[in-house]
Amino acid sequence: MTVSLRDVRMIYRTGTRQVLALDDVTVEFPPGTFSAVMGPSGSGKSTLLHCAAGLERPAGGHVSIAGTTLGDLGETALTQLRRDRVGFIFQAFNLVSSLSAAQNVALPLRLAGRRPTTGEVTAALAEVGLADRARHRPSELSGGEQQRVAIARALITRPAVVFADEPTGALDNRTSRQVLDLLRALVDEHGQTIVMVTHDPVAAAVADRVLLLADGRIAGEFAELDAGAIAARMTMLESAC
Amino acid sequence: MLTRDRLGTFLAVVLSTAIVAAALLLWASARPRVPERFADLSVVVQSPAAANPAEFFTESVPWPAATAQELADRLGALPGVTAVVQDRPFYAQPVRSGRPVPGQTTGYGWTASAGPLVAGEPPAGERDVVVGADLGVPIGQDVTLLTATGPASWRVTGHVDTSAVFVSDDVAARLQPGVRAIGLGGSPDPAAVRAAVGEAGVVLTGAARGALEPRADARTRWIGTQVMSATVALAGFACVFLVASTSAFAVNQRRREIGLLRAVGATPRQIRATLYRSALLTGGFAAGLGVVLGGVAALPLAGFLVDAGFEPPGFSVRWEPWALAVAFLAGPVVSLLGAAASARRASRIGPLEALRVAEVEGRPMSRPRWIAGLAAAVFGAAAGIYTATAASVTDMAQFALLGAMALVVAAALLAPAVVPLLVRVLLRPLTGITGTLVRQSALAGVRRTASTAAPVLLTVAFGVFIAGTVQTSTAAYAARRAAAVHTGSVLIPDGTPGLTDAAAPDAPLPTQVYVAGSAVAAVGLPIQAPGTALVAPAAADRFGASVTLTYADGVRETLRITGTAPAGPVAADLVLARGVVRDHDRSALAPAAFTPNAVPTPGAELVSVATYASRADAEEDRLVWSFTLLLLGMSAGAGALAVANTLLMATRHRIRDYRVLRLAGATPRQVAATVALESTLVVTIGSILGAAAAILALLGSARSLSAQVGTEISVVIPWSLMALVVATCLLLALVASTPSAFSARPTR
Repeated sequence: MTVSLRDVRMIYRTGTRQVLALDDVTVEFPPGTFSAVMGPSGSGKSTLLHCAAGLERPAGGHVSIAGTTLGDLGETALTQLRRDRVGFIFQAFNLVSSLSAAQNVALPLRLAGRRPTTGEVTAALAEVGLADRARHRPSELSGGEQQRVAIARALITRPAVVFADEPTGALDNRTSRQVLDLLRALVDEHGQTIVMVTHDPVAAAVADRVLLLADGRIAGEFAELDAGAIAARMTMLESAC
Repeated sequence: MLTRDRLGTFLAVVLSTAIVAAALLLWASARPRVPERFADLSVVVQSPAAANPAEFFTESVPWPAATAQELADRLGALPGVTAVVQDRPFYAQPVRSGRPVPGQTTGYGWTASAGPLVAGEPPAGERDVVVGADLGVPIGQDVTLLTATGPASWRVTGHVDTSAVFVSDDVAARLQPGVRAIGLGGSPDPAAVRAAVGEAGVVLTGAARGALEPRADARTRWIGTQVMSATVALAGFACVFLVASTSAFAVNQRRREIGLLRAVGATPRQIRATLYRSALLTGGFAAGLGVVLGGVAALPLAGFLVDAGFEPPGFSVRWEPWALAVAFLAGPVVSLLGAAASARRASRIGPLEALRVAEVEGRPMSRPRWIAGLAAAVFGAAAGIYTATAASVTDMAQFALLGAMALVVAAALLAPAVVPLLVRVLLRPLTGITGTLVRQSALAGVRRTASTAAPVLLTVAFGVFIAGTVQTSTAAYAARRAAAVHTGSVLIPDGTPGLTDAAAPDAPLPTQVYVAGSAVAAVGLPIQAPGTALVAPAAADRFGASVTLTYADGVRETLRITGTAPAGPVAADLVLARGVVRDHDRSALAPAAFTPNAVPTPGAELVSVATYASRADAEEDRLVWSFTLLLLGMSAGAGALAVANTLLMATRHRIRDYRVLRLAGATPRQVAATVALESTLVVTIGSILGAAAAILALLGSARSLSAQVGTEISVVIPWSLMALVVATCLLLALVASTPSAFSARPTR
């Protein structure tokens, strides 16, 4: 299993109130699959992603990525594992604003102490169709282009899994489509494992399977549906709450 | 209310109002004190003042003995006058166990008002003396007294309870024939006294009698005033500078927020008003606290000033309400001034700024910034050139400080133009990812980098400038003295104000003479013939073939000028015969004797030329060092706080960047290393620019000193102090920035 979560529990404290964000969630993401996680706001989907990716430590349960159990790792070891085995794509792109596209793509490798060749970086950018934008700063790129740079950056380490948090949330329909096609192609052509959190049924329809989350629990799982059917399920779920 | 953005302004204003309040209080407290011997004399007539500028501290032009006697007789006849005292202070210093008693250097004639006699008889005979009981010489025994001619044995006839020496009036009249003050006992009508005196002198009553204080005390007070003025100027400048750079920084950081306000309908005027109101409020609160702190600090500071010799003994703080009020008002004013430029810039932020995703700066150098920066640079250069040509030390010091301030402003304003070059050069050796990240971040935020470096710039510039000025001028004066002396050893005073004739019969004897009402420095040399004089080359055009002068005893004489004076170790405009000087100034003492075969006697010691050169102005050097430490401690302290604050602000605003780095796979240690390198870069840039500004300003001072001293003086750079200041800034910067970077988490 590329990523597995067992009995993962997460509690947030806001003042005196406790919020149970994840309630003993057990889920697995097999290699070469494209999974979408959906759910209403506050259902815990972002928390699930953060825990699965090792960005946050759960209050209980176990998470493992590519065979390594995260709970045993210190902060530095965890960072190194993320750097080597995990790629991230965010709604807000999260590029380093002072670095050029090429420098941003090279960043994870350079942080790991490796100096990537120009060809390596250019190839990664070419894969997302931005070979000619290598020297531009994020502020000089459109939203879609910035997200594609972020995808190139996520892929440069050849990660075991890519986590995407609302990757199309800040994009228009056309650029969303481009980004989703790019992600689909990664799974189909390179066997990449992708876990994507989204609330957009169109985006979810690109995935192999869809997990529904409500109140910190898995409320359903289905596969191979079109956007309309997913939207209907979502509406049912939301009205049930 | 007190956000961290405002904390910077708040701290800067608290510090500077505290400094201004303390300095103003001390400044207002410095008042001349009526010398004790005039305390019981309600009216004092002083001889006419010399025409020299006040900061020369020349004594008034004395009346000759006959004129004084005639005036005294005339005043004695006025109704209400019970006593007439002709004031005749002269050099007299008791010797105990072979050592001159320190601090007791003046003798007076015995009069009715001299003070209650504790025991014994008033002095009557030629060698009779009344001394303070604390000297420990019993009545009837002999005591050795040093006068300008040398040591002699005197018979103690009585004791007083003050530490002074009194001789009979006749003896005093012989030791000091000229008179500069006549005191009147009883209760004469000042108007009647004025009428009787006419043009012959100045009538002083009440507190105005403070003008009779010893000139040395007046000079000490004046130095104290200068110190306070410089402190106030520097504190005010540092405050405006720090507030300006902090608020420019804060506005830069809040561009998006301000853009959002604009987007929801705030007019530029409203934005400006908000910032001004915030500055005013912060300034007001800070000033209140600052004034209290300053008032509290003034008390120990007054003691320090007396100990350091900036104020005469007996100086204490007077609580002048106006001084506190001015300091309080200075707070909001300075805060507004500092906020002005950034408020203007903030009001021009457009509503679209709110929609910008990445915070990327526009052009680092705007046109007004270029203009202001170049103007400050030109002003600084002009002040530097003026400094280089300044003839007097006071002018030099003032213009050099002004020039240094202008250069600091210029360096801060023009910094964004040179920051990219500095960043590339400084980071060239670093090829790792940390180096790349820091380089790119500094280049993308040139203005931010420049304004973070600004407090470091200020701190280093003033540290280097102040210490450098002192060390350069100390070296200059030592060089002058060493160059002027050719003998292998020098006889210098030891525990006395100068050498007596017995110790150094042929030593150059400095005195003050008056030409056309102005005091002129003169020196008596044994080779000069009586009735003639030589003129120093610098003063040659002021004198013709002859000069009519008034000696220290009030006697007038016309001397033939026979030529130009050679350069000597004692600076003077006129060279006279030594015997003539001794005849007319019986308290004159030689500062040093340069005869190769001198022998040490009580009150004199033999030293090498090098020791003499370094020690002659030791007292003055010590004063200057105390001054330096005061200014340094202040500017460096304020600067260092600002450094820490700015970096704290900078780091806090950049937490998002650090989070992105963590998401890209940076370990906490890597993020901290990046932040530490960035802080180091900022401190380095500030130090380079600050040191450059200071050294430019120092060049002007060095040129001026070269001209005054006559030998080439090179700038002395205070390396160790510079290293200390830079290290302090660096330490503070690292402490302020790295911990928060360490705690940057990848989420939320």
